[in-house]
Amino acid sequence: MIKVRNLHKSFGEHCLFKGIDLDVARGEVVVLIGPSGSGKSTFLRCINGLEAFEQGEIHVDGIALHSLNRARPTHKDREAIRQVRLRVGMVFQQFNLFPHLSVLENIIEAPMRVLGVGRKTAEADALAFLSRVNIAGKQGRRPDNLSGGEQQRVAIARALAMKPHAMLFDEPTASLDPEMTGEVLAVIRALVNEGMTTLISTHEMGFAREVADRVLVFADGDVIESGAPEEIFTRPTHERTRTFLSRMLKKL
Amino acid sequence: MVLFAMVRHKASTLYLLLTLTLVLSLFTSSLAATKSTVAEIKSRGVLLWGSDAEGGAPYVFPDPKDPSTLIGFELEIAEAVAKELGVKAQLVQTAWDSLVPALERGDYDMAMNGLEIIPEREKKVLFSRPYYVYTLQLMVRKDEQDIKSIRDLSGKRVGTLAGAVAHETLKKIGNVDIRSYSAAWPYEDLALGRLDAVFLDTPITVYYGKPEVRLKYAGPPEGEGFYGIAMRKDDGELKKVVDSVLERLLRTGELKRMYEKWGLWDKAQAKLSNFSAASDAGSRFRMESADAPLHTFFPLLLKGAAVTVFLSVSSMALAILFGIWLTLTRLYGPRAAGVAATAYIEIYRGTPLLVQLFILYYGLPNVGITLSPLAAAILGLGMNYAAYEAEVYRAGMEAVPRGQMEAALSLGMGRALALRRIVFPQAFRISLPAVTNDFIALFKDSSIVSVIAMVELTKTYGILAATTLRYFELGLITAVLYFGMSYPLSILARKLEKKLKGQK
Repeated sequence: MIKVRNLHKSFGEHCLFKGIDLDVARGEVVVLIGPSGSGKSTFLRCINGLEAFEQGEIHVDGIALHSLNRARPTHKDREAIRQVRLRVGMVFQQFNLFPHLSVLENIIEAPMRVLGVGRKTAEADALAFLSRVNIAGKQGRRPDNLSGGEQQRVAIARALAMKPHAMLFDEPTASLDPEMTGEVLAVIRALVNEGMTTLISTHEMGFAREVADRVLVFADGDVIESGAPEEIFTRPTHERTRTFLSRMLKKL
Repeated sequence: MVLFAMVRHKASTLYLLLTLTLVLSLFTSSLAATKSTVAEIKSRGVLLWGSDAEGGAPYVFPDPKDPSTLIGFELEIAEAVAKELGVKAQLVQTAWDSLVPALERGDYDMAMNGLEIIPEREKKVLFSRPYYVYTLQLMVRKDEQDIKSIRDLSGKRVGTLAGAVAHETLKKIGNVDIRSYSAAWPYEDLALGRLDAVFLDTPITVYYGKPEVRLKYAGPPEGEGFYGIAMRKDDGELKKVVDSVLERLLRTGELKRMYEKWGLWDKAQAKLSNFSAASDAGSRFRMESADAPLHTFFPLLLKGAAVTVFLSVSSMALAILFGIWLTLTRLYGPRAAGVAATAYIEIYRGTPLLVQLFILYYGLPNVGITLSPLAAAILGLGMNYAAYEAEVYRAGMEAVPRGQMEAALSLGMGRALALRRIVFPQAFRISLPAVTNDFIALFKDSSIVSVIAMVELTKTYGILAATTLRYFELGLITAVLYFGMSYPLSILARKLEKKLKGQK
């Protein structure tokens, strides 16, 4: 489903990724953990083309992204990225709802304008997604009248409305109060249980352990360790993984 | 909303469209005609003549009894010339010191406003035979003891008209602190002690200086010279007509009757100097000005206000369109175009609007582009404000968080769609207060275009006030008119802002 080969990425002089490989199978849930600044977010953003990379390849559903290191991508490159984005939904740490549109308009905007879905169908779909993320009845509100947890669930509904084949969650609960974290995680959990191919970067270790098929540990732009959650959380092989996990546990 | 609702196609199409519109509007201009001027006057049925009615008594000025009609001895001469040609005379209001350049660029067929026949001017224009013998009169305060003639002016503050022979005469004395005035005559400043003397043409002195009781003449009139009607160098045919009219007026005694009526027939016209005969013409004029009921000024002021509104709305529309284009070019255009747009913004913000207007109006004719005063005014204000608008829009665009664009892209939207549907509407809300502010500022700045022969509200006020000296009452009325127009705008903007905020 998603295949990453030899990914290199740097920010100016600073070299972040020096060759990452990853295969994600359909329906697989991969959780990315590691300290802040270790490259989890950048990795996710590379997959749907929000970040360019210098070297390597990314295949999503058979679409190849590789020449994205150019300063000015061609029309073909842009179209390839767009096709990937149509198949991979993304949820951001800061929600990024459109503040000038209502909840309903936030959700139907892309299906109507990008996929050409009719308004009636788009609205019916949107309402269905809203009840799926437990937020039915608030379709007329403006985003800033919602709590953080509600906003993030609308953002999830907005991504799902494009009927993606896979979902990327970039620290979906990092800007939320603890009491709202649970409601967002519940929605993601339900989605994962339905078999959605999912990549999540998170600091919620309990949640990671619970939903992950596989855990990747990032440190300084490297995947230093990867494996089943039980292995990583109980028998980490890498010293840095141990340090990171103990620090995370202390926080709890 | 309106701005961005227009953006219906892809950003690139929009870009092209805007570019085209702007280029077209830039080059829509009337080019100088090639027909002979006399033939053209006859075919258009109007003789256009340039003059400055601001502080223009007794040459040409609004009638104190009916400010919407102009009167004056030069107006009568212009009408006599027009009659000879079988057409009507129409005045083109132009600042005095711009009369010659405006004639050269073809704003009118002839200029007449106490233009002295001097070699410097003769190099540029063709003068008719003289129609008036002017002298220059020095005035001082009643209590002045030291200044008895212009030879006593060393080290003194003296008011005069910039560019006139009086001005040149003062310069030749040396060590005179010359203060230049253009239309609001300096007699009030002299009476108040801001000046030590005023040195101006006798007709001006008779109408504006003499009636001032705190002042007196210092010595006899100085110098003597001729006023002539100025025409373009190649208009010999028109000169023949003008000369024959002047010659006839003089021969039949018509000119003398005219000057006597205006209190200007002095012995200087017969090479003698005695101005006492002229004394009460000015006082009469002053009294009539003071007695004119205020409401008689309204039609003219309202007409000026209408011009101001039209000017402001048109130039703001241009500024907004051009500003959007500059912003798009800067943010999404080719690199070279972006650099050019940035340079444009910096240059237009870094140079005075006045200079830009002069270049546009008097400079461009040198390369064959002659804009009408209205076109130059709208273009000048619009191009200047576009630079400020572009900055406002850029700030607005940059204030929209990056995450908005990213979220839109991640939903599969193209960049153009994301800009149009997600970024622009938010940038517009952020920019709105600044745009309203700019509009109100432009509304008031529009008064500056009077320098290029546009008679809008402020200029109308200037003409009426300088002639009647009723600066205070007319000023209040003018201020109320401006406020009455700009305040509703502020309220509207505030309402709109509130509404948009509520929508958020």
